[in-house]
Amino acid sequence: MSDFIELFIKQLQSPTLGFLIGGIVVASFGSQLAIPDSIYRFITFFLLMKIGLSAGIAIRNSNPTEIFLPALGAMLVGIAIVFIGQYTLGRLPGIKTTDALATGGLFGAVSGSTLAALLPQLDSANIPYEAWSAALYPFMDIPALVTAIVVASVYLTKKNGEASEKVEIWPIIKESLQSSAVTAMLLGVALGILTKPESVYESFFNPLFRGFLAILMIIMGMEAAQRMNELRKVAQWFAIYAFIAPIVHGFLAFGVGLIIHKITGFSIGGAVVLAVIAASSSDISGPPTLRAGIPSANPSAYIGASTAIGTPVAIAICIPLFIGIAEMMAR
Amino acid sequence: MSQQVWKLVIVGEEILSKKIIKLIKAAGATGYTVNAAGGEGSRNVRSTGDPSVSHTLSNVKIEVLTGTRELADKITHDIATKFYADYSIITYIYQVEALRDHKF
Repeated sequence: MSDFIELFIKQLQSPTLGFLIGGIVVASFGSQLAIPDSIYRFITFFLLMKIGLSAGIAIRNSNPTEIFLPALGAMLVGIAIVFIGQYTLGRLPGIKTTDALATGGLFGAVSGSTLAALLPQLDSANIPYEAWSAALYPFMDIPALVTAIVVASVYLTKKNGEASEKVEIWPIIKESLQSSAVTAMLLGVALGILTKPESVYESFFNPLFRGFLAILMIIMGMEAAQRMNELRKVAQWFAIYAFIAPIVHGFLAFGVGLIIHKITGFSIGGAVVLAVIAASSSDISGPPTLRAGIPSANPSAYIGASTAIGTPVAIAICIPLFIGIAEMMAR
Repeated sequence: MSQQVWKLVIVGEEILSKKIIKLIKAAGATGYTVNAAGGEGSRNVRSTGDPSVSHTLSNVKIEVLTGTRELADKITHDIATKFYADYSIITYIYQVEALRDHKF
């Protein structure tokens, strides 16, 4: 156990986390520091492109059937998280079912920034993982968003007792695929598979990755501090859910990853990737999709819960936690 | 050279802008202008230009010039039925003088 605590504390000292906390601190003190929106957008594009490229290169050099079971596991976890949200958060006093579903959908969806924060830490800890495991992102992200929107719409139709418009699933999938985060990553995967981008990958994307990631962590920290104000206006249950849910979802997905590990030899590092993408909650593509898909849900509740608490918990607690567990298992 | 026209202003969530523009065009307006907007309303403080991780909390101001009050009312009605219940959105109208000969 003391080994585990030692590993956990070592992870807490990672630069990623330091920059995140730095962002939270400066924003809490009302600093004028501002990083332009366009830079934020470029950095997320860059990071997801890099992750996509390395996943694509890995898929080109591996057996594509290996990804099948992990992708299925990611999908099931994404869907399960929405129902967990509905039947835990949604049952609490004073919580609207639609708000719970939207929050569950956002926590089931995946954060590109959390994924970007995880991968270099896995490298530093020398934990091997399938480089294509980052490509599991859309397999969890899209089913979670679709499930949340479809279940919310069925619920609203029943509650209002009228035959409302039928929910069309394809437009939700299309919108998720068209979102900037998923597009950047899938483009990277496609380029990695179809072309030979190794030269530009090694000379440009790989060396700059950690630096841009550090800047992104400052932005995420500042954003978390700002969204705190909105979270204060909604029920405290959202804050409690946002703290506990990433850890629970992470363990659920880690368990699924271990089962796949037993069946197919999927690596423990891969199970950590699966756990952390389950622990993460979407901050780029999920919110607009949910806002349009479940208009009656309160965005202050789900965005506040995700950005102010969910993402910092996923980065600060879940990443070190699951890396620590993987290191223990490797001993 | 000038003519009296109606200026309809819609301030709302950025994620609605494509849908609102579709309504405006479908109603028969010939043009519109879009600006980024910020401020505070009954629902919440809406951010201005800070890096916002998702664009869910950004706002736009859309201006439409229409030749008749009926056209402006039709656009307002379409927006009201579709979006007033669930979104942060406000519309207002005033009469302005367009300084260019143009069929609105």
